Amino acid sequence: MHEQLETLLEMQDLHMQRRALEEGDVREFESGVFDMSVDEALAALKDKISDLERRLTGDVQERYRRVIGSRHRAVVPVLGGVCYGCFVAVPTSWASESDPNAKMNVCQNCGRFHYYPP
Amino acid sequence: MQLRDFFSTDTVDLALKTETKDETLRALVGLFHLDEKSESILFKMLKRRETLGSTGIGRGIAIPHCRSLVVNRLRVAFGRHAAGLDFKAIDEKPVHYVFLIVAPPLEVSNQYLPVLGKIAQFSKEADVPDRLAGLESPKEFLQLLEEKGV
Repeated sequence: MHEQLETLLEMQDLHMQRRALEEGDVREFESGVFDMSVDEALAALKDKISDLERRLTGDVQERYRRVIGSRHRAVVPVLGGVCYGCFVAVPTSWASESDPNAKMNVCQNCGRFHYYPP
Repeated sequence: MQLRDFFSTDTVDLALKTETKDETLRALVGLFHLDEKSESILFKMLKRRETLGSTGIGRGIAIPHCRSLVVNRLRVAFGRHAAGLDFKAIDEKPVHYVFLIVAPPLEVSNQYLPVLGKIAQFSKEADVPDRLAGLESPKEFLQLLEEKGV
């Protein structure tokens, strides 16, 4: 897997975790069942995302910032040949490569980064 | 929706031989048979969640959980550790029973939180720790879930 994609995946998962914690149900569950200090957790996640963002190289970082700002999810899976960000078919040649995650693939329609689940 | 429907015998390990929390998380993730890179990302996310606060809810039970793009459907696993592990649990007691839950960021039927809730509910039943201790096979674990009707 491309190193930058791996970083993006981690960032995406942390973003998700952060957004979930901001929701009422998850927030209540995490603090009620697991005794989590949600505000501290949100701050820690924000710091970690910023750390990871600094690991992105110029063009990837620029695209990431642009996409996350407008579309909330910067990395989306490709399932059944379809981008799960905009639901437009992606070129089949990408998925047929032996390891499509070895390079950075970007949706030509919505601009999100693509991840091919195993 | 019943908890039993999400578990299978091949994702239940009643004889974990791990020595640390990290090794245990890795062992349970291993039950999903993902590729090496996906396992590593998932492990990292689970660890990250643990740093935000332990998922050890007391009475010897922990429920590590996270969402990640590396899984394409909700996955659950259960592990039992005879000696007990330091999970920094709420009651500071060793953890013997670990329920692992992972789910993709988006699910059609959005089962992640309900499943997490059902496991927490199951874990709070008074006799559950003793019943889990007495299990002799993964099949008995599934039967226990069925019997409890959660």
